[in-house]
Amino acid sequence: MAQNQRPRSILESLGEEIIRIITPVSICMFMVVILVSVLNSNSSSSSSASVNSIATIAYTETSSDSSWDKFLGALLNSLVFVAVVTVVTFILVLLFYLRCTKFLKLYMGFSAFVVLGFMGGEIALFLIEDFSIPIDCITFMVVLFNFAVVGVLAVFMSKMAILVTQGYLVIIGMLVAYWFTLLPEWTTWVLLVALALYDLAAVLLPVGPLRLLVELAISRDEDIPALVYEARPVTYNDTGSMGGVAQRRVWRGRREENLNDDSNSNANGVFVDNVDSESDSLSNASAVLDSNSDSNTLDNATLVRAEEARVPERDAELSAPLIDHRMNIQPQQQEDAVSSESLMLEGIGLGSSGAIKLGLGDFIFYSVLVGRAAMYDFMTVYACYLAIIAGLGVTLMLLALYQKALPALPVSIALGVLFYLLTRFLLEVFVVECSLNLLMF
Amino acid sequence: METGSETHPANPNHNLNTLNNRNPSPSRNSIISGTSPVWPTIDGRLGLSEEESLSYARRFYKFGFAMLPWLWAVNCFYFWPVLRHSRSFPHIHRYVVRSAVGFSIFTALLSAWALTFAIGGDRLFGPVWHQLVMYNLAEKLGLTDGS
Repeated sequence: MAQNQRPRSILESLGEEIIRIITPVSICMFMVVILVSVLNSNSSSSSSASVNSIATIAYTETSSDSSWDKFLGALLNSLVFVAVVTVVTFILVLLFYLRCTKFLKLYMGFSAFVVLGFMGGEIALFLIEDFSIPIDCITFMVVLFNFAVVGVLAVFMSKMAILVTQGYLVIIGMLVAYWFTLLPEWTTWVLLVALALYDLAAVLLPVGPLRLLVELAISRDEDIPALVYEARPVTYNDTGSMGGVAQRRVWRGRREENLNDDSNSNANGVFVDNVDSESDSLSNASAVLDSNSDSNTLDNATLVRAEEARVPERDAELSAPLIDHRMNIQPQQQEDAVSSESLMLEGIGLGSSGAIKLGLGDFIFYSVLVGRAAMYDFMTVYACYLAIIAGLGVTLMLLALYQKALPALPVSIALGVLFYLLTRFLLEVFVVECSLNLLMF
Repeated sequence: METGSETHPANPNHNLNTLNNRNPSPSRNSIISGTSPVWPTIDGRLGLSEEESLSYARRFYKFGFAMLPWLWAVNCFYFWPVLRHSRSFPHIHRYVVRSAVGFSIFTALLSAWALTFAIGGDRLFGPVWHQLVMYNLAEKLGLTDGS
C-alpha cells in the first residue's frame, strides 16, 4: 500500500526526543521552585527549619559559625553522605548480581510508598497549615492513601499508563528534592558537588558501582532495578507491520557494535532497552532519605542512556536516530545498515523504538540545585535553570557521541554551581546598580 | 505491507493512510474512515494487547474496592479508547464502565462530605469541627514539627 510519509527532518525527530526528556526535568524543577518559594516565604527563611537527617549527621550548621567552619562541617557531612551512598549502591549491585530482583522490586515499592505517603503527606500538611485549608482528617487520609497506593502501583508495574508512571516519577523526584532543600545551605552546595564527583566516578571508573550495574544488566539483558524515568519513545510510521503490541524497549548489547562500525551510517541503534514486559522492568535502587531514622539514604541511579529509534522493518523505514551526527548519508546506505540490523533484531524477535532514560537521582539533584537557588532570589533560579538545561544538552550530545551510559550530574551541576556563584556575587550587583541608577532593566 | 498478527479480529487494515502520527496516543486518532482502533489502551501501540488489557482492567476494578477511587479513575483514563469505542471491546468495556460509575459515586460522596465540612465549619458541627480539621490534628500530633 502506498504510504504517505511526511519527510521528517533530523531536527524534528531529534528535537522531539530531547524535548521529551527536558519537559519533565523542567516541570520537576518548576514545582520545586514553587514549593520552596511558597513554603519558605511564610516561615522566616533558613536555619530554623532544618532537617535532622543523615546528611547532617556530622555537623549541624548554625548561623553563628564562621565561613571556614561551615565549609569544613559541610565537607564532613557530604563525605559521610557520599560514603553511605556508595555502600548502599554496592549492596544494590551485590543484590542484583545475586538476582534478588523480587526483593529489589519490593524495596522500590516500599520506598515509593514512603516518599509518596509520608513525605508527600508532610509537605501537604505544611501547605495546609500555611494556607489554613479547612480539610478534615478523613478526606485527607483517603486522598493521601489513594495517591500513595496508585503511585506504588505505577512504579511497580511496568505496564501502567505511561503518563501516569511518568507523572508519579516526577512527583517522587519533586518530593525528595524538596526535602533536600531543607538541609543547611553550605551542606547542600558541597553535597551537590560531592555527588557530582561521585557520579562521575561511579559511572566511568571500571570499578564504579553504577558501571558494574550497567554492565551486569547488559550482559543479562535485563533492566536495571532502579527508579528511572523513561521518555516516551518517538515512533515513526506506526503501521501495523509491527504485528501485535510493540515492545516498549528492546535490548541490544554491545555485541551489535561491531556490526555498526563499518557502515558509514552511524545510525546505529545502540542501547535499546529490554523487552520484558512485566517481570523486572522497574525495580528500584533508590533508598529514601528518612529524616526520622538515619537508616536509609538516597541512592541516585544517575544513568543516562540513549536509546535509539531503530525500527527494523522490511520496508526499512527511516528512523532518524538520536545520535546521527554525520548527517549526510544517503538513504540507501542507511537502509542497508538498517536491514542488516533488522535481521539481527528480527532474530531476537523484537522490534521497537528506544527512548532516552534519565535516572531519578538526576531529577532530584537538578531540582535541589534550582530549589536552593530559589531560596536566594529568582535571578539565580533563571541562571541555574538555563545552566542545567545546557548541561543536560551537553550530556545528551556526549551520549550520542560515546553511546554508552554516562553520568548526567557532573556537567549540569558544575555549570549550575558556577552560574549560581556568578549570578549571586557578580550579576546581581550589576543588575541592582543598573536599576538603581535607572540605566536599564 | 503486512499487518502481522493483528490482535483484534474485527479490525480491517487500518493502515491505509499512514498518518505519520507524532502524537503519543495514536489510537485516539486512528478513527479514520470508520475503522476502529486496534489498541484498547491510551498508549496505543506502546500499551497492552487486548488479552492483557482484559486482565488489567479486571484487576484494577477489583482493587478499586479497597477504598481506591483514584485507581478507578486511572483505569478509565488508561482504557479511554474502550470507552469511546465500546463496540470493539465488549468485555473490557464492562469493567471500565463500572469503574467509571464507582469513581463518580465515590467522588460525589467524598466531595459532598468535604464541602459540608469546609463550608459548614463549626457552626454546623460544633466544637467537634476543631478536633477534626487537619491542621489542628497535625499540630496536636506533632506531625509537622521537627520533621
